[in-house]
Amino acid sequence: MALSADERARCQRHLSLEEVGVAGQEKLKAARVLVIGAGGLGSPSALYLAASGIGTLGIVDCDRVEVSNLQRQVLFDSDDVARPKAAVARERLLALNPAIEVVAHDLELRASNVREVLDGYDVILDGTDRLATRHLVNDACVLLGKPLVSAAIHRFEGQVMTYVPGRGPCYRCLYADVPEGLVPNCADAGVLGVLPGVLGAVQATEAIKLVLGVGEPLVGRLMVYDALELRFHEFAFSRRKDCAVCGDRPTITEPRDPPQACDAATLARVRRLAPGELRSMLDAGPVLVIDVREPREFAVDHLPGAVNIPLGELRERLGEITAGAEPAFVCRSGARSLRACGLALEAGIADAVTLEGGMLAWSAAS
Amino acid sequence: MRVASPLRSYTGGVATVTADGATVSELLADLDRRHPGMRFRMIDEQDRIRPHIRLFVNTTAVESLGMPVRPGDTLHFICALSGG
Repeated sequence: MALSADERARCQRHLSLEEVGVAGQEKLKAARVLVIGAGGLGSPSALYLAASGIGTLGIVDCDRVEVSNLQRQVLFDSDDVARPKAAVARERLLALNPAIEVVAHDLELRASNVREVLDGYDVILDGTDRLATRHLVNDACVLLGKPLVSAAIHRFEGQVMTYVPGRGPCYRCLYADVPEGLVPNCADAGVLGVLPGVLGAVQATEAIKLVLGVGEPLVGRLMVYDALELRFHEFAFSRRKDCAVCGDRPTITEPRDPPQACDAATLARVRRLAPGELRSMLDAGPVLVIDVREPREFAVDHLPGAVNIPLGELRERLGEITAGAEPAFVCRSGARSLRACGLALEAGIADAVTLEGGMLAWSAAS
Repeated sequence: MRVASPLRSYTGGVATVTADGATVSELLADLDRRHPGMRFRMIDEQDRIRPHIRLFVNTTAVESLGMPVRPGDTLHFICALSGG
């Protein structure tokens, strides 16, 4: 795919690199890269890929821009709040490099559409904020034979690894499975705004190397970045013969939606209390209040007499809830306590309630 | 031992902690005495490493809790992250 005069001028610094040159830049122009999640990771990776002259970029995101995104999601401006991320990303990337194609996929990836969306792309970058989607994307990449660069962030820590078909382990070889709710997301745990900038740039680097066929990708190596200590750690891991998707006897032969922690019908049955209602209950007599936040959050503030069972431990510790008790689950915003209620209901604890809005609502009402 | 970010709530936010033992299993037992509840977040009732946790001695993956460790080794706890 020949370069135009404008493209030659724009990518002159690439052309000067022996490892890229005109032939390499033409490879980049012919390449199709899909960025899943236009968030903290997808913002820098998509910007660098567009600037680098990747010919076709796909952006998957079904969310709208929120003001709290702007601390790290550098694709978006203040004026973009409430606008659809995929469409805004497309505008921004085309403004940066009008010579490329940008496809906005304003949808949520599911087993039913993941093949169709990924098909036609050469390299996949995963920067979603849901573990379930990470496994779905990994499985689809293994089944379709697509290279995948997967990254994730939490507070001051980031991780990145690359899967190349036939050359090494996949994401499921690293983390076989993760029940949703076990690992806090950025909204609950917080994240340093610049952290995804580092990891997203690594993802873009890997994608460009894979397209060019130069260097050594992060295959069979997990890179962990600790921003507080400014250290990169690297860990070797291997393909697992018993991996459910890339192992010797795979049990996953089609992309599948993950089992939900609780189904929507169960969650719909949960009794949700406003702060005033919970206060009335507490005033009326002893209530078993179970705070499902992490110990660090619990230590900062909690309701009098509350017991701390982090959501990640709840399934195994439901037996600690005495028969006949009517537990009231509490967390920061109400999201984790709702899932906790669902788990309790499924375990036959019929009278579980959740504090709607969590400790944030409780504090606001006090 | 180096503690993954999501598990630092058990160590008061501290990234590096010490423990005594000749195997990974012994280190985890000592760690749990110092930071109660932490082992259970990584190891299930059947003594299996949970599927969203990986342990590494220096840079080598731990496949068995009986894996020996030597003085000065670093045991890394790595946890799947969900943020993007």
